[in-house]
Amino acid sequence: MSGQAILSSEEPLKPGQQRVALSDVISQISALEQQNRLDEADNLAERVLAAVPQHPHVLHLSGIILYRQGKIDEAIARMEKSIALAPTVALYPRNMCEIYRGAGRLDDAVASGKRAIELAPEDSRAYFNLALIHYERLELEESVRICDRALALDPNFAEAHFERAEALLLGGNMAEGWKSYEWRFKLKQAEGMLPKTDKPQWDGKPLPPGKLLLVADQGFGDCIQFGRLIPWAAQIAPAPVLACSGDLTPILRQIPGIGRMVTRWELTGDFDAYIPLSGLPRLAGIDSGNVPLSEGYITPNPELVAHWGAQLDRLLPKGKRRIALVWAGRPTHKNDKKRTLKLAQFAPLLARDDIVVVTVQKGEQIAQVGGYFGNAPLVNLGPDIADFADTMAILNNVERLITIDTSVAHVAGACGIPASIVLPYAPDWRWLLGRDDTPWYKSVRLFRQQRPYEWGDVMERVARSLD
Amino acid sequence: MLNTELCGCGSGLRRVRCCEADLTALPDAAALELLTPKAVEATTLFNEKKFRDAEALALKILDMAPNQRAALRVLFEVRRAENKLGPAETLARRLASIPAENSALSTAAQLQLAQLLVGQGRHQDAAPSARAAVKLSPRDANTHHVMGVVLTETGHVHAGERHYRIAIKLLGRDDGTVLANLAWNLKLQGRLDEAAEIYQQALAIRPDNTRGIGGFAQVEAGRARLPQAIALLDKAVSQWPDDRTLRLLRALMDLQDEQFEAVITRLSGPLEALLPPELAARGQAVQRLGQITEAVTIFATAKQMQRERYGQRYEPAEFLRKAESYKAFFTADQMLNLPRASPAEGVQPVFLLGFPRSGSSLLEQLLAKIPGFAASDGFMPVAGLTDLANRLNDLEAGTNYPQTLANMAIGDGQNIPTRLRNQHLENLRTAGLVQPETKFITDRAADNHWHLGLIKLLFPEAPIIHVLRHPLDIVLSNLGQDKRLEANCGVSMIATARHYDLTMSMIKHYRGQLALRYLPVRYEALVSDPLTVLQGIVKFIGVTAAKLPSKPILRVNAFQPVPRVPAHVVTQQPLHDRSAYRYRAYEAALPQLFSEVRPILNGWIAELGYQDTP
Repeated sequence: MSGQAILSSEEPLKPGQQRVALSDVISQISALEQQNRLDEADNLAERVLAAVPQHPHVLHLSGIILYRQGKIDEAIARMEKSIALAPTVALYPRNMCEIYRGAGRLDDAVASGKRAIELAPEDSRAYFNLALIHYERLELEESVRICDRALALDPNFAEAHFERAEALLLGGNMAEGWKSYEWRFKLKQAEGMLPKTDKPQWDGKPLPPGKLLLVADQGFGDCIQFGRLIPWAAQIAPAPVLACSGDLTPILRQIPGIGRMVTRWELTGDFDAYIPLSGLPRLAGIDSGNVPLSEGYITPNPELVAHWGAQLDRLLPKGKRRIALVWAGRPTHKNDKKRTLKLAQFAPLLARDDIVVVTVQKGEQIAQVGGYFGNAPLVNLGPDIADFADTMAILNNVERLITIDTSVAHVAGACGIPASIVLPYAPDWRWLLGRDDTPWYKSVRLFRQQRPYEWGDVMERVARSLD
Repeated sequence: MLNTELCGCGSGLRRVRCCEADLTALPDAAALELLTPKAVEATTLFNEKKFRDAEALALKILDMAPNQRAALRVLFEVRRAENKLGPAETLARRLASIPAENSALSTAAQLQLAQLLVGQGRHQDAAPSARAAVKLSPRDANTHHVMGVVLTETGHVHAGERHYRIAIKLLGRDDGTVLANLAWNLKLQGRLDEAAEIYQQALAIRPDNTRGIGGFAQVEAGRARLPQAIALLDKAVSQWPDDRTLRLLRALMDLQDEQFEAVITRLSGPLEALLPPELAARGQAVQRLGQITEAVTIFATAKQMQRERYGQRYEPAEFLRKAESYKAFFTADQMLNLPRASPAEGVQPVFLLGFPRSGSSLLEQLLAKIPGFAASDGFMPVAGLTDLANRLNDLEAGTNYPQTLANMAIGDGQNIPTRLRNQHLENLRTAGLVQPETKFITDRAADNHWHLGLIKLLFPEAPIIHVLRHPLDIVLSNLGQDKRLEANCGVSMIATARHYDLTMSMIKHYRGQLALRYLPVRYEALVSDPLTVLQGIVKFIGVTAAKLPSKPILRVNAFQPVPRVPAHVVTQQPLHDRSAYRYRAYEAALPQLFSEVRPILNGWIAELGYQDTP
């Protein structure tokens, strides 16, 4: 179909053309969008809009595609037009709510979310979208309340449970938060995180040695953060087997109490029960007042520290304070847009005369170093970092790490290395609210956005904090 | 039916007897012997200057026997005398390819071809036949002389010097031409005092060698003996008033002496009657007098002439392919798996980057004033190691640099970076570029930007100093030059801008993918406050107790009588900042001047932080 002209009904057919039902084309656009074939979807939508420029649903679909292509302003214009043309279709403000959130227009997002609920009071997803906006605005009680409305309509709505958990935990209501947090394994993106087994989740009761399977289930940062509870688990179920990705082994192997580490499910051996690392805080009854080992629980390999120390001595100009930097996270992280920055946004830091910047950034975003011509000397160490063991050793040779909320922040915290973390207005739940320290890591200082999506003053404060 | 169609190469032979001749059907030696008397007759006619008769007879002989050597030689000489270089080259190549009865004949054929190509400035193309000639007749002084010319003019100055010296030894006497060529070679190496001495010997033997006189004058100017250089040229110009090279050199001396009106007088006349280098010199004089519009007209005429009269085109295709291939290979992930050269004591290279006219030559001149620093002037480029890297790595047929480097990840390839590094240091030592007191050697090879990946493997912690300058000033400065640049990018402002973009994107890629010890320095800062910039560089490199020259010494940037100086020292001038942000005056006078290049360069101007510079 994509090769044929899309005609308005008035236009006569030319040889080789055929008339197609608009509903079929709309289905086709949706299918392409869901298959992530965005350019094709956009192309088809544009051709349809050339024929039916006032069609609200095509406008709406086109807006979603444009949004996913990063063309936010165009997306919003199309979707607002679709709402103006069809003001009673609940789907449009429901989706608009999420688009406004992505664009940082939180007031508009709230209005859209409320309008969607007004039009479809039985739609649990409309409530969920509004709850996300309230979280972004740090209206946590309202977020929980709206999640509860969604769950009243659909008690098995995993995303709503998880959002509820995040709002509760961020607000410091840990005990209740941990319960809702258990729904994380019902999320679509959690598939494959746990072993396929008929064995039960561990209930915290004693087990024979080697019969507990610990699963490093979530992101690297979570695993490092919750890894501190492995010694606690090992006291009750000695020598547990830890299943984790190869990337994490250099770090987690240092934590005492682990019996065996495996990187493939088939190597776990027989176990009586399993528990994801992220389930340990609930079992251990962790709240903001009783976090163990916050002074650090991982020590880098001294030989590697010496190796990188010598390397840094050779590579870095003398007489400058060494500041490590990470500005971007894993792009597939659900909140990456909120936390990831551009290197250039650290301009106030990079303008300092007294520092040398050691970037420990990994991944595609290291390419930004190529465009850096700022005042502070900068050494792009990322390309030479093979694994977290290198990162730990490098961090041991700098004065401080400055980072966004990503795994390296946890590496520094777990090693007791001074670190400054820049956080979005509505941060991940673990950083809590209204404080510039964290119960998880004594060596970490937090720099929070004062207003959503505004990094300027955060960067100024981080740079000034080195005075 | 007889095929009478003449060959498209222009030899004058029928196609089936020339480029499409059946090589298996050529007459054998016995048959060719029958034609020898006729070939001798053709040669005699040629020697008697009866060129048309000689040509007609040679064509007849070759129509019967396309491989008749003497007839081919006659036809070649006729075509060369007619300045029909294409057919002459075809015939010379044929002569060089047919088997000869003895090595002397083969050598002569190879030399003939090499000299024909050298005469056209095609030194790189001449290299295979020059090499073949040396191998055929290693005791023949002439083969070494030609080899010396080819190597010198293709940047292999140290190897070139070796062949000139062998030639002199084999001749057993001083030869004015060989000595003058040796002196030019030494001048290129920056060994100006030695060059001056040899020029004097050469010109004593051959005082009519105008090229030698020109070279000597340039050496004298480089030795801060401008009056002597001017005297030499004045005398030569009065003796050979029609020699345009001497006239241009004399004008360049005026330019150096800030006698701008004199430059314009010497190079007067309609612009179309001047050659591009003459236009460049006149334009620079006009520019210094502040006549912006006229200067741009002159420079633009020179560029137009290069394109339209000499057929020079910007040819980026090879470099775009190279960029794609290098970027695909030199990634952080790939490099993590490749071994690095083991740590080494001794001299440390310092690599300088900078698009032409950025100021990297100036930086090398200033660094050379610091004790312990030597300038390699790009004579031993790391790029020269790529062939060796290929040979050491090429375990699989069909792979090329840089893909062959992937073999170093395999066990038996682990020591290749160390071997390559050692070879590079050995090359520097053999070339005499490293003295006992040398601790750092600067390398400003023009193609360093392509080879930061290899540099990282061989010298993982080498400082890389990148001289940055406002991109519009770079484009403007290149407009006023008559130099051959990579991909011919000097032929127009837009070509310069495009190639700048390509070069900078290559450096940007490497900086993103490699942990480089990289320091950007600004041309604008270098000319306004050289001492602070040098202090920054020295600190960055980690030189302990470096004794920096004083501010006045740096500003005068005077020639220092050291054994070796960078070759560009001959254009050494006192430091000035009149060229910093020169584009502003030009854009004010000619608002459309940069309209084509701005869209290409604006991104870089912003990225480099130049947009708000006062």
